Amino acid sequence: MANTVIGSTIVIDGEITGDEDLVVQGTVKGRVSLRENILVEESGVLEANVETSTITINGTVTGDIQASERAELKSNCRVVGDIRAPRILIADGASFKGNVDMDG
Amino acid sequence: MAARQHAPSAPTGDGITIIGEGIHVNGRITGEEDLRVEGRVEGAISLTETVHVARSGVVVATIEARDVVVDGVVVGNVSATNSVSLEPGAKLVGDISAPRLIIADGAAFRGNVAMTEGGESAARNRAAGGRSKSATRARPASGASRAASTPSARATPRATAASRKAERSVTPRVAAIRPPKGAQNVDEEVTVVVRHAALSESEQSEASSDKAAKKKAKKAPPRGRVPKRGKRSVNRR
Repeated sequence: MANTVIGSTIVIDGEITGDEDLVVQGTVKGRVSLRENILVEESGVLEANVETSTITINGTVTGDIQASERAELKSNCRVVGDIRAPRILIADGASFKGNVDMDG
Repeated sequence: MAARQHAPSAPTGDGITIIGEGIHVNGRITGEEDLRVEGRVEGAISLTETVHVARSGVVVATIEARDVVVDGVVVGNVSATNSVSLEPGAKLVGDISAPRLIIADGAAFRGNVAMTEGGESAARNRAAGGRSKSATRARPASGASRAASTPSARATPRATAASRKAERSVTPRVAAIRPPKGAQNVDEEVTVVVRHAALSESEQSEASSDKAAKKKAKKAPPRGRVPKRGKRSVNRR
């Protein structure tokens, strides 16, 4: 099954919903609501409130993140916003500003 | 556990965006790369490259792109700078504006079509190619006439005033007779040719020398009162 990919030159202004994995190399503004995995690549910019199962961030996210399973902040990522997830991983080198809620 | 699994590895295809079957995008998509829609998009799509709506794709949006290929469902106006192609699975409701429109058998379409200018420029350029070729073909001819005029200019000091007058009309003939040779020694030959030409010219134009006139007079039978051809009177003796 083909993953959904937002390419590096693409800008989506609006809302993305679905039940499929999403790879963000470009820019998404608005709201993202998935039941699967989100991968934000190094070139990816997410200016949105995110609801998902798991999210892995290598790029930039501005907005609140709510993950039902896991949120992972890799090194070199930049995140501004609140994170709410049962499991939160923050790698060495990651930049993060916001609240963390691990109550699930 | 699903939680253990990492997010999907990034697909290799660089420069292509895919909206997967399970995805619903509501908003505006802009960019400079190919977009393949297998899911659902509502709002607007504006790209500089190709939009491909797959058979499972549903687009309720205005589409602007260079090329638009539709094999799914599109509701909205489609405007392309190059081409719009409706594949057999296409269902399109909306207006199409593009220089080129291809509709395959099986496609369903309702709306207006405006075939704008711009897509045929390549074909037009191809047609104009022949004209420039003929222009280059004409150039050698003008070069030859220039070459012919040069030796005649060299010959002018030797030519008489009378021959100079004739020279103008003779020059093309010189060019035709003169065998192609190197730049050296052309001078003499050309001079001879010009002199001959001048002689014949002067005979015809009555500006002949006395010798030629006497010869003609001797040969001409005296009985005729009618002037010889090219002479004004018979009483030249």
